[in-house]
Parts: sequence; structure tokens; C-alpha cells
Amino acid sequence: MNETEEERKARGAARLAAMLAPVRGKLALASFLSVLAALLWIAQAGIVAMLLGALIAGERALLGPWAESAAFLAIGVLRAGLSSVAGRLAFLASEDAIAHERAALLSAQSRRSPIATGRFSSAEIASLAADKLDLVAPYLTRYAPAMTRTRIVPLAILSVSFPFSWTAAFILLVAGPLIPVFMALVGLAARDASEKQMQEIGSMNALLMERIRALTDLRLLDATGRTVADFQASADSLRRQTMDVLRIAFLSSTVLELFSAIGVALIAVYVGFALIGELGFGAWATPLTVSEGIFLLLLAPDFFQPLRDLAAAWHDKAAALAVAGEIADLEAEAKIDIVGEGMDGTPLPGPATLRVAALRWTTPSGREIPFPDFEAEAGATVALTGPSGSGKTTLLALLAGLAPAAGGTITVAGESLDDATADAWRARLSWIGQTPHFFTESLRANLLMSATTRDDERLHDALAQASADGIVSALPRGLDTRLGETGHGVSGGEARRLTVARALNSHADIVLADEPTADLDAETAAAVTEGLLALAARGATLIVATHDMALARRMDRIVSLETPQ
Amino acid sequence: MRALFPIVRRIWAQEWWSLLRGAALSVVVLVAGIALLGLSGWFITAAGIAGLAGAGLMFDMFRPSAGVRFLALGRTAARYGERILTHDATLRSLARLRVQLLAGLARSPFSRLPALRASEQLNRITRDVDALDGIALRLFIPIVAAVTTLVATAAVLWFLVDRALVVWLIASYVPGAAAALGFVAWRSRRPSRRSRLALNAFRMRVVDLLQARTELAVFGKIGARAAHVMTAEERMRDSLGQIDRMERAGGFVLSVTETIATAGALLVGALLAERGVIDPALAALGFFATLALAETLAPLRRGMAEIGRMTDAARRVERMLQTPDAAPSNKASVPASAPASDAALSMDDVCFTHDGAAAPIVDHFFLTVAPGEAVALVGPSGSGKTTILQLATRMVAPDDGSIAIGGFPLENWNEPELRGAVTLLPQRSALLSGSIREALALARPGLEDRDAWAVLAAVALDTVIAERGGLDSRLGEAGAGLSGGESRRLALARALLRHPTLLLLDEPTEGLDRTTAKRVLEGMRRYLPDAAILLASHRAAEREFVDRIHTLSPVGGQRHGSD
Repeated sequence: MNETEEERKARGAARLAAMLAPVRGKLALASFLSVLAALLWIAQAGIVAMLLGALIAGERALLGPWAESAAFLAIGVLRAGLSSVAGRLAFLASEDAIAHERAALLSAQSRRSPIATGRFSSAEIASLAADKLDLVAPYLTRYAPAMTRTRIVPLAILSVSFPFSWTAAFILLVAGPLIPVFMALVGLAARDASEKQMQEIGSMNALLMERIRALTDLRLLDATGRTVADFQASADSLRRQTMDVLRIAFLSSTVLELFSAIGVALIAVYVGFALIGELGFGAWATPLTVSEGIFLLLLAPDFFQPLRDLAAAWHDKAAALAVAGEIADLEAEAKIDIVGEGMDGTPLPGPATLRVAALRWTTPSGREIPFPDFEAEAGATVALTGPSGSGKTTLLALLAGLAPAAGGTITVAGESLDDATADAWRARLSWIGQTPHFFTESLRANLLMSATTRDDERLHDALAQASADGIVSALPRGLDTRLGETGHGVSGGEARRLTVARALNSHADIVLADEPTADLDAETAAAVTEGLLALAARGATLIVATHDMALARRMDRIVSLETPQ
Repeated sequence: MRALFPIVRRIWAQEWWSLLRGAALSVVVLVAGIALLGLSGWFITAAGIAGLAGAGLMFDMFRPSAGVRFLALGRTAARYGERILTHDATLRSLARLRVQLLAGLARSPFSRLPALRASEQLNRITRDVDALDGIALRLFIPIVAAVTTLVATAAVLWFLVDRALVVWLIASYVPGAAAALGFVAWRSRRPSRRSRLALNAFRMRVVDLLQARTELAVFGKIGARAAHVMTAEERMRDSLGQIDRMERAGGFVLSVTETIATAGALLVGALLAERGVIDPALAALGFFATLALAETLAPLRRGMAEIGRMTDAARRVERMLQTPDAAPSNKASVPASAPASDAALSMDDVCFTHDGAAAPIVDHFFLTVAPGEAVALVGPSGSGKTTILQLATRMVAPDDGSIAIGGFPLENWNEPELRGAVTLLPQRSALLSGSIREALALARPGLEDRDAWAVLAAVALDTVIAERGGLDSRLGEAGAGLSGGESRRLALARALLRHPTLLLLDEPTEGLDRTTAKRVLEGMRRYLPDAAILLASHRAAEREFVDRIHTLSPVGGQRHGSD
């Protein structure tokens, strides 16, 4: 268990590295510029130290106060510019990397066979693509440059300070590395804590969502007042837990700040005493000058700054690793793709015939389903019947090339169904599913999805033939009504009739229908049946998977699938 | 940025004491930081001067060095206190906002509630509240603290150094910081809004793309649809890129402001010292204090990055909080006078058309249900069964005609009394996470175990619950853990516990097999022998159970109240 957890972590880290690979150059440049900007402070500090030192000694400054202040200003503006450019570069690099990942994710997942369901739901994949991938951005824009600065800037400041005073360098040397040690100690508790905190905030939202979803029921039960009071109580207790957790997290950053403050204070005190002559040690042969003292003091805070930046960005890495791990998990899943590309194609020529020979399918659980051989000539109507689990839906999906068969052949319009012919074959198909999906778009756009022409009159005829015209007129904006999750809904029976109308409206000459009359009341079922027969009357080859014998008997032929063992 | 003020007022009204102390502590932090660097700079310079003059022994170095150490420690402690106080206050106010949001939504009209079911919208509400956490923490407290600190520092420097330095400080810091903040606030709201909309569109299109793989593959539209998804992604990146550019520009202005201020302080100090107006040590103090003042702008950088998102979220949250009360309960109760009839429900010539629909869904409808009677509404989908039930419980108001409950016109009932008399079991009812007992007690507070078991027995759920571990067994989110049929029966049990005089059921035995359906319907009748029951039905078991069937024809040819 522990080992697999380790392996998962390693896979996440490897995946994160792969994610960065395409933008590594840009990122390195951004980090380099941010280091450069941080190092420019050394020059600014030098100017200030010289100017103030000259003032104290009563000498004229090297270039005079005007020129030296102007130099300080110019380097400062350059520094601000470099940081901005570095930040922008890192941002663009992260955008590139994320966009690349998104496109790859979608192109892989959209070709996954719809009948081979995986562990990840569509909503989970959507949240991975839309929200979670964005969590990689702070890792690239904040953590990575801060890491590079931490590696270089403190060392540079140390080596600049060392020639002036080994004591000052020693103070920095001791206070600096102690920070990571203390951070690690407190951070252990804090990381655990911040994970918990995320969960707490997540569950607070989950609680709120659950109650909002149930509002209709709560209103009907006259329970809204009590529910609000209950929610308040749970929200309060969650807040208290979150605060307990935050206290630890703040403690760790307080320790960090304490060390950097003590480091700066020690330098100041040491330099002060050395200048007065109280402390003879620490500097080299010559005593420390005022300029040198000021220089050391100015550099001290910036010695600690990269460490503080890194600490502030610490959790960015954990978040990015978690996301990369999730993507690796998704990619590690065994994946069955559809046959062909699922793109538009010129329809396959030849009569609308179908022949199935020795066809087999292996379910994800490893069960083998053999299918009976059958043939459908152009214009034939065939019912596929059999108990649930006998593979009716799977057979339909195989006929549409929605998954490759485990064995056997499907011959369509005289050609073998494979990657080369699948798109062209599907250009002649229409599909009537059990739970049709409607896009969050107008009803018209949904109905015209498979149409080659946009002809309202034809559409109205198709709707009437499928007895779906009543559904359209009951919708607030008729054909222009937006459907889908955020729009208006249609019931299962209505959706079924609308997809029959969609098939009637298209020029498809092969129609595959999956349990078109399941769970419908008798009247609606009859309407759907008549719609299907209207399709057949138009000359389409009709293959219907059903356990509704009233429907099956109206087909030319019944192919019955075996009972599963 | 103005949109933020109502939310700030709400937070302030509740948490002003914590926020005030938090702001005071953050001033302490900033002032201590400035004092630390200023004192250190002065200390070093003054010590250097004394050392050069050979007066080192007379120089009092213990008080300044003690001061340096005190400031270093005090600053850290103040920082910790400030963080705890302001975070606690923010969490409190966000929790309260969430509660207020829930209460506000609970007041909104029934017709709006189904639209809220969409998880997309819910997500947005919760995300909006999350987006507000920086308003006090990273915007208002830092601004207040920065201004206070600037004033305090200016006053001290006026006294210690020279007023020329103070004039310079204010003339450089104030316009620079105000320009950066104002620019970002002004320019980033629209891209923030656009990026949120694009993100929502992207998320929705991804779900569409993945859920419709069958249709898309068959229609050869996978490529086209994937491209459609990516256009939303491009729009999102475009807006995010714009926001990033604003932020960088704002950040650059802040950095340049800091540099101008410090360079100026250096020059002013040097010139004054050269002319002998001030001591060189004081020039150093002025420079170091100005340098440390930059620290006051640091928290603003993060706040600035979020300002667009916060403004956008604040607008929407505020709008939601101001939902007017749609169910005023101040109406007088039903008059004690004799009812006009003894029917439990009477609907008289009722018409209803959905907003924007061409044809009425309920057209001149008549129905009377007597106490103790059970009536089934039967008809194809779309014939208005559900709408009739909703009309009877005032979830929607009829366009025409009259409805009476217990002989009193529906519009005269006040909300609590109506909910006491009429209960509707909707087609899809929602359960909450928690114990079975809590689920049932939602319908009747202070529920006794005996009553709980009685109602569970009535819906044939007692053995199931006993096997699960009794009334204290827990349900997951939205009632997870029960099967579809079990959830349905638990929701029905909840409705029965209300002991209504009129029980409205929308396809109550959906998902139950025939035998269980019969048991449930009979158990329900035994539990509420006197209640009038009206159910929307498409199942034989339900039709056999009722005393009378009322058939509805499809839209457009509604049959009038014949039985």
C-alpha cells in the first residue's frame, strides 16, 4: 500500500516534469531574469552605501548626490522592468503548458469509446481540464522562479558580504539554513493542516450546495428556517476547525519571519558595535567602514527574501503534483477508442447493407459475448432482442464503430468496417439512443446536428411525423429554446421523440435505435414506434435493439441474442 | 471597485471589532518594520560617526541595539496576532455570507428554484463566496494600514528629519499607489467577468463533449466539437492574459513608485546633509524608513491581482443577498368563518401557460377532491400533470380560474399554514446528508423514535433501515447510500410525517417494483386515512389504488372536468 503510494507520487512527479518539458526554455529564461532582477539590488545597495558613507566622512560623493541618486533610480526601474518581464514570461510559459495539456486531454478523451466507461466521470474530467489544471500555473509562475532565486541569490549575497566581514556572512549563514530546518518542522504540521483546511472549505461548499439543491423540498416541508439554522451551526464548527488549522500554518510563517528579523537585527547590532570599535573581530585586517556596514545591512533582508518567497509558494508544488498525479492516473487507465476519427466524411457508396459474422466482444469485466451472425439488406428492418445483459446495446455500438470488436467482422455497404471506412460509414447513420444527449444550445441546433441542409419546413415535417411538434410548441421559445443543464429540460419520452425527428430530418439511410420505447407510457411508446416505421417507410435500413415485443413484431425480422451465461 | 463596498459594509457591521484590532496590529507590524530598518540605519551611521570621531565610548549603543531586538521580536508577534484576528474575522463573515445566501435563496420564488438545481450555478455561488475572502484581508485592511502607517511615518520624519522629506514621501507614494490600484481596478473587471464566463462555457462544453461521445462520433462531429470547446478555452486564456498584463503593469508602477520614493529620499537626505541642515545619520534614517515603507505596498500587490475577480463576485453575491421575500408570512391566517365547501381541493376553470410558451399547459381545468378520497391524474408526458400539482400547492400561480384548499381560496392562506395543510412529493426529491432520524425530523422537529418507525413501516422501509443500522445510520451527500427506490420511499415518509389534509404525489412509486408499490400505497393510506390524495401517475399499481382516475389529454386538447 505504502509502496504504491510512493509509486503514484513518483508518477505524478514524472508527469509534472513532462508537462514542463515544452516550456522549459521559456521558464529558464524567466527564472534567470528574476534572479538578475534580485541581484541588481546589490548594485543599488552599493550606491547607497557609497553615498551615505561619503556624507558621514564629510567627503564629496564619487559622482555627487544627483548622479548617484539617478543611478539608483535607473537601476531600480531596470529591476522593476526585469521582474515584470520575468513574470510575464513565466505566465506565458504556464499558459502554453496548460493549453497544451488541455488540448491533449480533450483529444484523447473525446475519442474514448462511449461503451467502455472508465473510472473518471465526465464531470471529473471537466473539472480536471477546467479548474484543476489551472493549479499548475502558480507552481510555474511563483514556485519555479522562487526556487531558482533561492538557489542563487542568498549564495551571491553571502559571497559579496564575506569579503567585508566574515562575522556578517557567518550570521547570515547560520540564520539562513536554520529557516528551512524550522520550516520543515513546523511545515510538517502545516502542510497536513492546510490540506485539512482545503477539505474543510470544500465540505462547507458541499454543505451549502446540498441545501440549495434541496430548497424546493425544504420549502414544501416548511423546513427552511431550521435548515438555515442547522447550516449556520455546521458552518460555525467548520470555521473553528479551520482556525485551529490556520494557527499552525501561521506559526510556521511566523518562525520564518522571526529568523529573518533576528538575522537582520543581529547584522545591524554587530555592524554598529564594530563601527564604534567595541568589537575588534569579524572584519579582516582593516576595520569595517561605515559604507561597508550600510552595505551589509541593506543586503541582509534580501538574503532572506527568496526563502520567504519560496515558503509562500510552498503549497503550490504540492497542488501541482496532485494535479499531475491525477492526469497520470487518467492516462494510465486502459482506454478503448472508437473506430475511425469521428470526423465528417463523404458517405460510403453502395447499398445500405450490413453483415455480421462471428462477432465477439469482451466486457471490461472480462466476460466474452458472442453475437449471432445476421444480415440486413438495404431497407430491411431488424429487431435485436434478448434479456438485459445479452449485449444488445453493445452490438449496436459495434455496428456504428463506437468500439472495435474483439473478433469477427462487420461488413457495411460491402466493405469491412475499420479505421479507414468508419467515418464514411457513419456519415450515412443516424442514432436514436436510450438517453439522448442534448447540447446546451437551441433545440434547432440540436436537431440539425446531423443534417446536411438547414430547411425549417423539412424539420417541421419530421417533428410532426415523430409526433414531437407538440413538445416544441410547449417550449417557451419553440425551436429557439436553449436545452441542457442550464436551459430547459425535456422528459425522457420527449427526448426520444425528438431524436426520432432528428433521424427523420437527416438524410441517413441506416438508423440504429437503442431501446427506443423503454420506460415510456403506452401512448408515447406508440408515437415513437410510428416514428420509427415512418423512417423505414422512407427506405432507411432500421436496426432496433429492444425488449418491447410489440415493437419487435413490427420489424421484418427478429434476431435474438443469447442469454448471458 | 464600488461594488465591493456593500460587501465590505456587511463584513464590517459584524466584525468591526476584530477587523479594527487586526488593522491596528497590521499598522504595528508595518511601523515596527519601518522603525527597525530606520533605527538600524541610524544606529550604524551614528555609530560610524561616533567611531570616526573617536567618541565611541560615549555613544549609548545599548538602548538602540535593545530597540532593534525589541522591534524585531515585537513585529513578529504582532504579525501573528494580526493574521489570526483578520483570518478569523474573514472566515466568520464568509460563513455568515453563506448562511445569508442560503436564507436569501430560500426566499426566492418557487419558479426560480428548479433553475438553481444546476450544479454549474451552485458552483458559481460557492466560488463567488470564496473569491470574496481577500476583500478585507488583502484589500481593505492593507489600504487602511498603509495609509495610517504613511501618516504616522510622515509625522515622525517631519519631527526627526525634515519636512522636505515628508513632502517628497507623500508626493511620490500616494499618487503612485493610487494610480496602480485605480488602474487595475478599473481595467480588470471586464476581463475578469469574461474569463469567468469563458471558464463556465469551457467547463460546460467539455461535459457536453464527453457525455455526447456517441452522438458526436455517429454524426462525425468530434473534431468540430473539440474545436468548439477550445474556442472557449482560447477566450478564457485571452482574458486571463489581459488580466495578467494589467496586474504586471500595476505591479511595475508600484515598483517604480517605490524606487522613485527611495531614490528621492536618498537625494533629499544627501542634499540636506551636505548643506548641514541635518545630521548624516538622520539622512540615513530617512532613507531606510522610506525603503521600509515599500513593505506597506506588498500586501496590496496580491489584493490588486484579485480585484477584478472580487468585484465581479461581489456584484453577484450582493444581488443574490437582496432577493425580496417571495413568501410573505405576514398574511392573516385563514378566517375562522365557515369554509365555502367541504372539498379538500377544488380547482375551478384553471388555466396556466408557462412563460413564453405558445400553448397553455393547463387549459380550463376542473377538479374536486374530497377528504379521504384518492384521485390519479393520468395522461401522456407533457399533458400538465406536474403543473396541476404545483398549482395546487401554490408553487405557481394560475393565470385564470380559482383554486381552494379546504374551502378557502388558496391565495388567502399564509405560508406556514398552507405548508401544514398541503404537502407535495415532487418527482425528484432531494435528501440531505445526515442520519435517517435527521432526514425525517426535517418534516417534523422533535420526532419520537416510535413515530419514526411507524412512518418507515408505512412506506415499507422499516426492515431496510433496521438492517442499515437503525435511525442513526447515516446517509452520504444528497442521500447517497440508499437505492433509488429507497430514497423515493424515504422522501415519501418525510411527506407523510407532515400529516397533511391534502397530499400531492408526483409519480410516487417510480423506481419501485409492483409488489412494493402496492405495499407502499396501502401503507400510506392506512397512515393517513382521512387525507385527500392527488397523484400524478403512469403506473398500473397507482391506478388500481385510487378511487377515481382523471384522464388528461395532451396539450391543446385538454379534456374538461369530466370523470
